[in-house]
Amino acid sequence: MALLEIEKISVFYGEMCVLRDVSLQVERGEVICVVGANGAGKSTLINTISGVLKPRSGKIIFNGEEITHLEPYQIVEKGIIQVPEGRRLFLNMTVEENLLLGSYTPRSRKKRKENLEKIFTLLPRLAERRKQIARTMSGGEQQMLAIGRAMMADPQLIMFDEPSLGLAPKVVDHVLELIKNIAAQGVTVLLVEQNVHHALELSTRGYVLENGTVVLSGTAHELLNNPHVKTAYLGL
Amino acid sequence: MARLASPRYYLPVLLILLLFALPLFVKSPYYLHIMAMVLFWAYMATAWNIVGGFAGQLSLGHGAYVAAGAYTSSLLFAYLGISPWFGMFIGGLVAGLMGFLVGYPTLRLRGAYYALATVGFAEGFRVILTNTTHIGKWKTGGAEGFMIPLLGNAPQHMQFISKVPYYYLILVLFLILVLICRWIDGSKLGYYLTALREDEDAALALGINTARVKLVAATLSAFFAGVGGVFYAQLIRYLEPNAIAGPIMSNQIVFLAIVGGRGTVLGPALGGLVLTLIGEITRVVFNQIMGLHLFLYGLLVVLFVIFKPRGLIEFLEVLWNRLVNLLERREGKHAA
Ligand SMILES: Nc1ncnc2c1ncn2[C@@H]1O[C@H](COP(=O)(O)OP(=O)(O)OP(=O)(O)O)[C@@H](O)[C@H]1O
Ligand SMILES: [Mg+2]
Repeated sequence: MALLEIEKISVFYGEMCVLRDVSLQVERGEVICVVGANGAGKSTLINTISGVLKPRSGKIIFNGEEITHLEPYQIVEKGIIQVPEGRRLFLNMTVEENLLLGSYTPRSRKKRKENLEKIFTLLPRLAERRKQIARTMSGGEQQMLAIGRAMMADPQLIMFDEPSLGLAPKVVDHVLELIKNIAAQGVTVLLVEQNVHHALELSTRGYVLENGTVVLSGTAHELLNNPHVKTAYLGL
Repeated sequence: MARLASPRYYLPVLLILLLFALPLFVKSPYYLHIMAMVLFWAYMATAWNIVGGFAGQLSLGHGAYVAAGAYTSSLLFAYLGISPWFGMFIGGLVAGLMGFLVGYPTLRLRGAYYALATVGFAEGFRVILTNTTHIGKWKTGGAEGFMIPLLGNAPQHMQFISKVPYYYLILVLFLILVLICRWIDGSKLGYYLTALREDEDAALALGINTARVKLVAATLSAFFAGVGGVFYAQLIRYLEPNAIAGPIMSNQIVFLAIVGGRGTVLGPALGGLVLTLIGEITRVVFNQIMGLHLFLYGLLVVLFVIFKPRGLIEFLEVLWNRLVNLLERREGKHAA
């Protein structure tokens, strides 16, 4: 049984159809990459899985249980979290406060101390800066914090929405390394990235989203060697 | 002891002592009444701030909760002989329940729905109060209003000939509410409220049950507004639906909180103190122009929203820090 199964979901903003009959499967322990141009519907997909947006049709099944109509906080409780596009930190709060806000749900609240320790070993820079106001941190540090905050929810599936956006190349490497580490801990990953080459290299499989539909899917290796992906996304 | 020696601690204590000492110097019932009303408005703005400031959800109908508290305790007192000391609690619960019912369907929606619902609900409640002359055998008075039976000096029924006990009562209620708000601000609920205010989408995506957090704030806020309403009823001893449940009451509370500093612990109270004093002065100076003070409040809201969105509290913070620094430096010199 797949960890996450998306069956033909369609999502609309008002009358505009942004995702049409999108199906996608994520097995436990995979790193899935979703590739697509600006406006293809990647963020919409992540927000629909999170329950922030509701599909007009189709089903989302997680751990064999339908979650299509659950509220966002219930979905987080089930074990799905996202690191939103643009990080969306609480900029006037400290590092520590941001992290603690990541463990709102009852399940993660119980493991709050333990998870905080884990995140501080994974990201020692955050430990040094516990009391720093999020606004005053560099872009890279803010992205680390956003990831740490999401990890506080103790997720089974973590979704990254363009985590390298606006970061210097060196910092991008660092972020991708971190994602690899998270996956190595057994957390399943769904990754949306503009850095298609790097993202596919650390993925098991990928999907290509164009104008709200899945046009292509396959193993990372297949996609990296696909002529269409090469010309459209890898600039080769 | 060392802590108490710092101006950061002894200044607030001195201020509170000063508030308690005021009736020693002010003997006129007229001025005592005004002082009690100033504190009443500071209290109401602070209560409103729990939902309007901390949760960032605009309520434009707090008059309904004030009225709910006031009518509940007054009717229970007049017809069942239940003391308003106890009625204060019941009145608060009734108001809290109303706040819950208005918020429940609307706080999960984004946009102006909650604000609209509060206006609609308060207006509906005012009309019902205006047109209901009896509840069963109990006469409520409708548009004519409801007069609370006067027993003379009856402390056990929260009635006093002197204005001094009223002043102390609202002072204590006000201080308790400020302490509760300070506690909320630093509590888990406070963090969730701040997160919600800063970025509702992010809070939602993190798994914060934003609808529930808002609802808790709305219910608490209505509860305290209801308790305030009971005090108001005992002080004024006459309930008139238009004055107590109407837009004048509801809007005034919002104006005070916004000018003072929405979302801060002490801002709304400061707005209540300063604006009510200004209002009283204009009432005395321009007594032929009715409602001028409300016009002034509205104007101040506009000016503050444009030029000082953080409110009066910003000035106070600057002054406060200067004063504390000055005192600390002087003490440093003494020690040296
Ligand atoms: N709140 C909204 N209301 C209306 N249309 C929206 C809204 N959000 C997104 N859209 C539209 O939906 C489409 C998909 O948007 P989405 O944000 O999912 O794309 P994306 O693949 O994440 O793009 P990007 O790479 O720029 O982040 C776009 O055409 C966008 O304009
Ligand atoms: Mg996007």
